[in-house]
Amino acid sequence: MSWELATVVIGGFATLAIYSFLVRENPFYRFFEHLFIGIAAGFFPILVFKNFLWPKVFEPMFGFTVVTFPDGTTSAPYEPLNLLFLLPIGFGMLYYTLYSRRYSWLAKLVIGFSLGYSGGLAFKGFFAEMVPQLTGSFRSLAVFADGSFQLFATVENWIFLITLLSVMYYFFFTFRFASESAKGVSVTGRWLMMICFGAFFGSTVMARMALLVERLQFLILDWSEAMGSLVV
Amino acid sequence: MHSFERQIIYLLVMLVVSIPIVMKQSMKPAKMKSADTLFQMIEGLPVDHSGGAPEEIALLALDFGPNTKAENEPQAEVVIEHLLRKRIPFALLTLYAPGEGFLTSIPERVIERLQKEDPGVRYEYGRDWVNLGYRPGQALFIQTLAKSKDLRSELKKDVFGSPLKDIPLFQNIKTIRQIHFLAEFTGLVGIFDFYVQFFQQDGFVPLFGHGCTSITIPEAYIYLDSGQLNGLLEGIAGAAWYSKLLKDAFPKRPNDDALVTNTALGVAHLVIIFLIFVGNIREGYRWFVESHRHGGDAV
Repeated sequence: MSWELATVVIGGFATLAIYSFLVRENPFYRFFEHLFIGIAAGFFPILVFKNFLWPKVFEPMFGFTVVTFPDGTTSAPYEPLNLLFLLPIGFGMLYYTLYSRRYSWLAKLVIGFSLGYSGGLAFKGFFAEMVPQLTGSFRSLAVFADGSFQLFATVENWIFLITLLSVMYYFFFTFRFASESAKGVSVTGRWLMMICFGAFFGSTVMARMALLVERLQFLILDWSEAMGSLVV
Repeated sequence: MHSFERQIIYLLVMLVVSIPIVMKQSMKPAKMKSADTLFQMIEGLPVDHSGGAPEEIALLALDFGPNTKAENEPQAEVVIEHLLRKRIPFALLTLYAPGEGFLTSIPERVIERLQKEDPGVRYEYGRDWVNLGYRPGQALFIQTLAKSKDLRSELKKDVFGSPLKDIPLFQNIKTIRQIHFLAEFTGLVGIFDFYVQFFQQDGFVPLFGHGCTSITIPEAYIYLDSGQLNGLLEGIAGAAWYSKLLKDAFPKRPNDDALVTNTALGVAHLVIIFLIFVGNIREGYRWFVESHRHGGDAV
């Protein structure tokens, strides 16, 4: 049996095992559930080591990237500055001092560093993301194109504005206007959000169904063909 | 609802959805305006016929794994196919570790299909596309990439360990200013955000296309509406419409799975709507009977 064929056959059994939960919980489902969790947990560290730590850090640091030719010459001289990788590695390893009661304070240095750079990135990212959205919300309430009035685009912009203002008002908790019209704005905001949640729910159903369709395609087309070739 | 009834519903949905897949039936997909825009955008990208090293390339981020493969894979396939047909060189990478396998399998599958359609056509790794593999670091990586004055020394090697300075596609590529088109396919809004936030250099932002899952469509629309996105593929439906556009542009092209998947999805929707309808009628009838019974008792 080829490797590809084995992958398809096992994949089919795994899919059926996971779907067997729809009938009832059973040992077949439990086994594949644990197998999946184990593979997912093991896959990421191996990939990071294979694709990042080894080729980008350890290989250059140990000088494995330097090729020695038969005549004794090398492709490039060893770069001793690569040993500087040891500094961030050592700093990062301080995270593990969490397991020591005496030295656990050292981990706070790493956590503080991580929080600092994450905060800085988030701050910069927020403005890069939100400013275009903010300016994008300033829209013409009477749209003209090529000298003619665009009814559809105008209505669209009005709906956008009404939704934006009423939903913002709904979440405005500092003080409230007690008038009926202010309550009406708040209720409108709530109803518009309900419509939005309905759209969210519809798209969630669509995504789940897409997953089902893909698995059924796999079972009906690929897996059945693979099983057929095994039987024959 | 009884467990037995639930199981019947699961079975019914599975059986009905299987029909288009078994029969390989596809219906014309609904028109998707944002997919149209993305198609026209790629059509408008400059094509270099000189045969030399390109001055501009496209960058495709396949940030999805098996969990959203159902929707993101057909999207990535149609865009990669379009770029290959147009001879627009592109680089592939992923910030999401489980996505690495797709960087190899999707272009290989698309090229196999294109060569079956036209046996004379040839695509060469290193000239038409490059696989940069999985890149850790997420936001930090994107920011470093965006600020880099020499992408070749920043990215160093492709997934096979070949130095980028030896790869023709990267000969003239120095900064992200030479990336005229960026496409990102993911179901993870967090990763998508990193590109929106950091993939820019001194006011330069490439044309940006995005393939999202159905769940993240409402969030993706925010970016499309504000102009941060130039084109969008909305779940399977977006991929199916894009596939139809490719078929129109290249009549020899056979139908792909996206159209069948979209038809099966449409059938699934009809079943769900039908079940919601039936469930509500049943509950309404139950409420009616219960309320009349209590009313009768009271009298």
